[in-house]
Amino acid sequence: MIGRLFSRTSRSGIGIITIALPLSMFVILSFTASSFFTAQNLGNVGNQITALLIVSLGQLIVAISGGVDLSVGSMLSLTSAIIVTFDPAIVVPLAIAAGCVLGTVNGIGVAIFGVHPLVMTLATATFVQGLTLLVSPVPGGVVAPAIEALAHGRLFGLQPSLFWCAGAILLCWLLLSRSAFGLRLYALGANPRNASLNGVKVVGPIITCYVLCSLSAVAAGIFLTARVSTGDPTIGAAFGLDSITAIALGGVQLSGGVGSVPGVILGVVTLGLATNGMNLLGVSPFLRMAATGLLLLGAVSLQRRKTIGV
Amino acid sequence: MTDPGTLDHHASGSSAGGEMVRFEGVTKRFGANVALKDVSLVGHAGSVHAVTGENGAGKSTLMNLLAGVHQPSAGTIYLHGKPVVLAGPRAAQQAGISTVYQELTLLPNLTVAENLYLGREPRRLGMVDRSAMRREARSVFARIEVDLDPDAHCGDLTIAQQQMVEIAKGVAVDARVFIFDEPTAALNGPEIEKLERLIMSLKRGGNLVFYISHRLDEIFRFCDTISVMKDGSHVATQPASELTRDTLVSLMVGRSLDRFFPHRGTVRPEAPLAIDVRGLVPVAGAPAVTFALRRGEILGLTGLEGQGQREIIRAVAGQIAPVSGEVVHHAKDGTSTGLAPSPVAVARTGIGFVPEDRKSEGLFLPLAIERNIGIGMMRRSSIWSRARIDRPRLTGLLESMNVRATGPQQEVQALSGGNQQKVLIGRWLAAGVDILLVEEPTRGVDVGAKSEIYTLLRAFADDGGAVLMTSSELSEHIGLCDRILVVREGRLVAEMPGAVATEETIMTSALTGAPFRAHAGAAA
Repeated sequence: MIGRLFSRTSRSGIGIITIALPLSMFVILSFTASSFFTAQNLGNVGNQITALLIVSLGQLIVAISGGVDLSVGSMLSLTSAIIVTFDPAIVVPLAIAAGCVLGTVNGIGVAIFGVHPLVMTLATATFVQGLTLLVSPVPGGVVAPAIEALAHGRLFGLQPSLFWCAGAILLCWLLLSRSAFGLRLYALGANPRNASLNGVKVVGPIITCYVLCSLSAVAAGIFLTARVSTGDPTIGAAFGLDSITAIALGGVQLSGGVGSVPGVILGVVTLGLATNGMNLLGVSPFLRMAATGLLLLGAVSLQRRKTIGV
Repeated sequence: MTDPGTLDHHASGSSAGGEMVRFEGVTKRFGANVALKDVSLVGHAGSVHAVTGENGAGKSTLMNLLAGVHQPSAGTIYLHGKPVVLAGPRAAQQAGISTVYQELTLLPNLTVAENLYLGREPRRLGMVDRSAMRREARSVFARIEVDLDPDAHCGDLTIAQQQMVEIAKGVAVDARVFIFDEPTAALNGPEIEKLERLIMSLKRGGNLVFYISHRLDEIFRFCDTISVMKDGSHVATQPASELTRDTLVSLMVGRSLDRFFPHRGTVRPEAPLAIDVRGLVPVAGAPAVTFALRRGEILGLTGLEGQGQREIIRAVAGQIAPVSGEVVHHAKDGTSTGLAPSPVAVARTGIGFVPEDRKSEGLFLPLAIERNIGIGMMRRSSIWSRARIDRPRLTGLLESMNVRATGPQQEVQALSGGNQQKVLIGRWLAAGVDILLVEEPTRGVDVGAKSEIYTLLRAFADDGGAVLMTSSELSEHIGLCDRILVVREGRLVAEMPGAVATEETIMTSALTGAPFRAHAGAAA
């Protein structure tokens, strides 16, 4: 079983480093930062990484198809702006509708018009960010109590972030590892031509991937806005790069066909621990940003390339 | 050796021998190119039916129509007597047509069972039922008697095992028509035997097997019926028992084999030198070699694979920097230049190099024919000069080489191997070189174009040029070269005139390092 897990052609993408990195970070931080191993701080880490985990799982779906979505950050910000701007009764359906539109546009651009995913989603990311700043130019606004409850209310005495994480993980795992859609997605991510020769449709599933990814950003946006209890038109700015870094750390191959939910969880934990650790150790936030860039570069260079689908 | 059981899906087997597939007046155009012209052909149940012909003859296009990859521009395909429209690969699979492509279509990141059922996964509660998938995969493998783990990742399998999975895919959907496209290209002896047993059991089960290949041995070994294609047309369909290798080859090329190689040159020993190689040590540790190439001559470097032929020709071409030694070029006007070990310097001197891997080392695949050749015309121009292609000369060149293309604007990647090779040689002809260094002149080139390339090289030598070549085909050396040098462990162990060399004399020297003795014994 373990042999198969690490097989050269396994599609989980999980390697020794994927597992060792978060573990060693955990151990090192327990010793170096006195306030790290406390219930308070670990709860904080959990809260901090919830939104990133949700977005990264969406990013995973797109990455398996062989694409990438840079517009998740803007979608998250737009969701935040929508929640504090419109009538509380319609904000959630409105945000979901916006997510569907953005995902469909991204998907059509990539799958039908053949625009490179980086270019396509960078363009829509810029467009949506502009739109967000039009709707709500400055941070502020009030979040309706019903929505705040989504991140603050306690169910069975447990943190609501736990339910958000569990829900996102379960949905994504069912989709990728249990459904026919997931199996076909791995197939077309590895080699679209061969997948189509085997009777797998290509265009529809790719558009669906981008829609699901945008919806994950909407979900993360609702959670995050509820948690901070106010609107912020640039709250998602870092999520595009962070989610890509997280999945790369989780062994997801950005060329498609390789990646798994457990891998992404590990990647998100790694990035979350790195951020929290630097925070506790008093590292400048700008240096933290620089470190994220280096982590992405490191994670991508560690990937086995030309093994699958290239 | 056990014999797989008969794969009879339809116990009645009533259709055995009956018509299964009929192409009726099928034409396929790609843009202005006509790939298939009015082809009519019938395949019968319980038959292994070879579809053969040169590269680019249209055999793969014909099979792609049946596999649903392309749709005919005109004409109809009948399956079991009824006209069918095969709108896509999936439609063809559903109609019971299974294809084993030359480039296998398995997904490396999926397991064997997942590949087998991709696109039609068994479901349970809306989710993929993996245990059912595994179970059914095992039963299919049992039916065709192959031993494969349904949970293995396809990327970990050998080519032969992957092929078995592709065949199993067809058996799993109860396909009645199987298409094999050059299935043995990557297989070894025992694997080919295993494939033969599988094909024979498909045949006994009353299925129709189309076997696309231009390997004559296998065609006569596996097939009972042979269809020959040429230039997009169907030439003939005959029972294999009524054909011999010679009649089959002449159907394929439309000419008999004795005209395959051009006349040999008449090189006098005192002909002027073209290249003088003195004490050349191509790579560290190799022995020094000394030989001369004369005007009007085609000289072959032969031997077993990897004995140093490649290093010698590449050192002469300036592709690798030799450890020591000297290569002197003698131009037609009598001037001599020592060659610097750089591809650019060698080309400027007037020596063209045609590498064995023309796709990655020789041609600019996405560029048009005229640009691939035009770059040769600009060999001596300054980098700041205007790039102008001498069109009349280009057209004349393409015509004289008989390049089959839609026009000089066609991308080189769309050409067949033979035409690509002509374009590459044409680049050097346009550049006006007087010496050609050619690796594997006809690798991946079909029979008809081979002969044309031989003629082209011979004409170049007759015109005062000179050719140094390597080839892994002994018959090519014997048929084409004026003189053959046998290389063994980097050393030139024997020299023989092409006219008297035989596969035996070459192999004797290549294996033992013994010098050449004409009419063994008589010379002593």
